[in-house]
Amino acid sequence: MWLWFSKLGSPRWFYELSSKWLPWLYALMFVMLGVGLVWALLFVPADYQQGQTIRIMYVHVPVASISLACFPLMAIAGTITLVWKMKLADMVAKSVAPIGAWFTGLALASGAIWGDQIWGTWWAWDARLTSLLIQFFLFVGVIALRSAIESPDAAAKACAVLAIVGAINVPIIKYSVEWWNTLHQPASSISFDAVAPNPPEIWVPLVIMILAVYVFFAISLILRTRNEILQRERRAQWVMDLVARDQQK
Amino acid sequence: MPTLQFSSVSEFLTMGGSYTFHIWSVYLLFAIFISYNLMQPKLVRRQFIREQKRRALRDAELSLQQSKQSERPTS
Amino acid sequence: MSGDIRSEGNSNYELQQSVSTWTAFCATLKRDLLIAFKRRNDLLNPVMFFLIVVSLFPLGVSPDPMELTRISAGVVWVSALLASMLSLDNLYRADYEDGSLEQLLLSPQPLYFLVLAKNIAHWLISGLPVVILSPLLAYMLYLPAEAYTTMVLTLLIGTPVLSLFGSIGVALTVGLGSRGLILAVIVLPLTTPVLIIGAKAVTDVMFGVPLASHFALLGAILALALVMSPLASAAALRISVN
Repeated sequence: MWLWFSKLGSPRWFYELSSKWLPWLYALMFVMLGVGLVWALLFVPADYQQGQTIRIMYVHVPVASISLACFPLMAIAGTITLVWKMKLADMVAKSVAPIGAWFTGLALASGAIWGDQIWGTWWAWDARLTSLLIQFFLFVGVIALRSAIESPDAAAKACAVLAIVGAINVPIIKYSVEWWNTLHQPASSISFDAVAPNPPEIWVPLVIMILAVYVFFAISLILRTRNEILQRERRAQWVMDLVARDQQK
Repeated sequence: MPTLQFSSVSEFLTMGGSYTFHIWSVYLLFAIFISYNLMQPKLVRRQFIREQKRRALRDAELSLQQSKQSERPTS
Repeated sequence: MSGDIRSEGNSNYELQQSVSTWTAFCATLKRDLLIAFKRRNDLLNPVMFFLIVVSLFPLGVSPDPMELTRISAGVVWVSALLASMLSLDNLYRADYEDGSLEQLLLSPQPLYFLVLAKNIAHWLISGLPVVILSPLLAYMLYLPAEAYTTMVLTLLIGTPVLSLFGSIGVALTVGLGSRGLILAVIVLPLTTPVLIIGAKAVTDVMFGVPLASHFALLGAILALALVMSPLASAAALRISVN
């Protein structure tokens, strides 16, 4: 068990394993993304209320739901960094932050575009959008802190603390924003739960899209983590060999 | 069995008339988002390898010069 | 000879033990308050900042009493938040520069309580004066009479949370060269729940909404912050100073 754990913490081991995984993940992503997009764009019946704009949901909901997973993931990686001082965990934590900001940003943008159709305005202080916005600020804070601290070791620990504090705060922020909003805007619900009772031709493509975006998330996380590994281990023999073997000019 | 929702290509491209811009702009953003997040790490990686190669080359040249310099007094 | 060293070590050990956590807590609190009273500016600046920011709003929005009444709760709360943010840097900066922060980290008492003492001192210096001044500013913003008690009470519960959360941000950034903006970027999102609940409580009381849940939530956040935030600050200080 502990052997496995320390092996998992070895950046080189992760790099070599992920080299084997990546082609499969790419294949999986392209197949699922292809099926999901074609289904969402061509075959999903127009909603009786929203018409064709229901198709926005197949981008917005997957991206938004995965953006919510990024902060807890960063906090878990941060905890591992602080407790077991595992280098790989910090590389993952560093890579998650910009991806999380991207996901949250796209969720905000697609939510705003959808909102223009649903509420007739590009921006509404809807509970979900508002808590996404604050989550976006939290990601920006973590990225800013990381880039401000020069020593990588101190930056790793400081960002781990901030990620944990933020992750404890995210549910509180979400709850308080929802509570704050109930009086102003009762249930302009465009939520995942509102989708559930719908017929399978609506939610099956949604599930496919969610899974596809999850795989995409995994790929982009692995790619960034691999770069981080190369950067930090650039003086190691195996990285030098890898560079020497590389054919590109 | 799901059925095709559009009878012609132009109907598909305009998304049935209303909200064409909204739907396509979301999918355009999604495409940008996916391709950026796949390409950016590749570019960073390429940059890294280029830099490391240059450094290795320079180190090799440096050590060659040093060995030449150390040879000169003896010859 | 060796016996001497051992007994000396023992007496040292006892000496350290004889300073109880409570004594150290009080000493830290007293020291920070004394420093603040010696440097009058630290005491005055947050209050002046609060005053100036609040008086900018009528100039920027409108002098119309109806309009000001509507936004008064939010303006007072946001200004209190900013005033607290601005004074945060005093919390550890000077101690970091003159090395007394390292002494604090080396002391045998649990850092949790020492950090808590510093946070309480910061609140007494920057938070409490703002709370005391707030009725005057609320009057200038035409806050309805029935909302005064709620406003003061929510500020009284809420501003300590601002000091506690802010302390984490300062502790993380204390070693950095340019930290003003980064501190705000880190801390402000964390303070949104307090702002939301506090400002809403003051607004709701004008509409006669029952306030039990507002105070329960604020109290819960304060309790959580009191327990968790000094822990995070202490961890962050250890990272920043080393």
